[in-house]
Amino acid sequence: MQESSSQGAAIVCQNLQTAYLAALHRPILNRVDFTIQNGEFVTLLGLNGAGKSTLLRSLVGLVPIHQGSVTIAGVSLSPRTLPQVRQKMGMLFQGGGLIPQLSAVDNVLCGRLGQLPSWRTLAGFPKPDRRRALELLEDLGLRELAYQKTSRLSGGQQQRVAIARALMQSPQILLVDEPIAGLDVLATQQVMDTLAQLNRDGITIVAVLHELAIATQYAERAIVLDQGKVVHDGSPHRLSAHFQMQT
Amino acid sequence: MKDLKHFWQRAAWLRHLLIGVGVVLVYGWALRGLQVDLELLKTSVPYVVDFISRLFPPDWSVLDVAVKALVETVQMSLWGTTIGAILSVPIAVLSARNLAPRWVQLLANLLQNLVRSVPSIVLGLLFVAATGLGAPAGTLALSIYTIGYLAKFYQEAIESVDGRSLEALEVSGASWLQVAQYGILPQILPLSLGYTLYMFEYNIRAASVLGVVGAGGIGFELVSYIRGFEYPKATTMMLVLLVVVTAIDALSSHLRRRLEAE
Repeated sequence: MQESSSQGAAIVCQNLQTAYLAALHRPILNRVDFTIQNGEFVTLLGLNGAGKSTLLRSLVGLVPIHQGSVTIAGVSLSPRTLPQVRQKMGMLFQGGGLIPQLSAVDNVLCGRLGQLPSWRTLAGFPKPDRRRALELLEDLGLRELAYQKTSRLSGGQQQRVAIARALMQSPQILLVDEPIAGLDVLATQQVMDTLAQLNRDGITIVAVLHELAIATQYAERAIVLDQGKVVHDGSPHRLSAHFQMQT
Repeated sequence: MKDLKHFWQRAAWLRHLLIGVGVVLVYGWALRGLQVDLELLKTSVPYVVDFISRLFPPDWSVLDVAVKALVETVQMSLWGTTIGAILSVPIAVLSARNLAPRWVQLLANLLQNLVRSVPSIVLGLLFVAATGLGAPAGTLALSIYTIGYLAKFYQEAIESVDGRSLEALEVSGASWLQVAQYGILPQILPLSLGYTLYMFEYNIRAASVLGVVGAGGIGFELVSYIRGFEYPKATTMMLVLLVVVTAIDALSSHLRRRLEAE
């Protein structure tokens, strides 16, 4: 296990355990321990059902924590602190999690919902937010598609819209669930390069990936899960030799 | 016991045979309940032919009455569908698996089933007793009748919303109202508008039936002519209804296709 201090840590998981699942005869996450420092690019690897996505979801309060603790940027995760914790994090869902009927720019603006009261968004978003959303789309090479419905965009473009939406929250930490699933080589590279650039800009990235080669190329650290437990935490290089596994 | 279960799982032909026998038995049972007399059916054909022949030619002298009654029917359907659609929204939200707690869902579903199990004609009679003969009774009956169907359709549209997209908004810190406005509404709007248009079209036909109990619309005139043995005038009513229903069906199909393409 990687030795790390919780001082300046982005995420600290201690003895994290989710509820017991009868079908698996075990909790999905079973006593998970790790610390991720600010500015790291960490990949979560493991076979299907290992608990990677559940781990990401538990960090944003979408999966209840049965035992143990999670601390995000110094704030201990609990129902009371959840809104505060969520302000520090953005999450990219598998497939983007966009609203297909809304335009790219409106999807990006949805990233601001948490910072605006409901009455202010009833008739739309403030102009400065709209400008910021367009800037983000421009940075990600999507300015011309800003008013296109996201259902009409390609998988790679949708992922970049989802990244822009997460960036609207100005997150310190970006959780990414299988961002390149179903994408072609070019789109994969565009999405991963964008994540790498965000990481260089100081955002901590935690990404569930399925391709070891991609993980090795972009991440500086890999946490490998197996049956809900951390079985490796360290460099992603030569992982295949260690585990003889197809991730 | 395990061997029997294994045999049952593997013997697809036996399963299909038993299902086939079961279906034939159910249809046979239903036919027996109808007490169909084939001999009577054969002898009744000339009477049916005679009735149809008396419907023609249509009497166009009542065309203005037909058009006026039809306009009233369309007005009844428009308001009945709109009121019903508005009332269906909260019921649908409270019935949806992905939005409401289980006990609320059960109550809201019970309410839906209750409304759906009352025939439109009974609703017509109820509102005729409350508001008297005429279009207002029919409009109210239609609006309640509409709830039974639109609440169910809206509920299914809400339940088919992509859960991940709602979670994404939740994680961004959106409130319940914001999730509903930016997550649920855009996703259910095209489908729900399509269902509402279909219901409007269906209610024009339903409004015609309500006329039978005096709840206004073209059905009222239609039944009056049939009861008075003025069949050619009744034919004019039916032809006008046919033209309007066909036109509205074409228009609403076109709009629904456009909404689905969105």
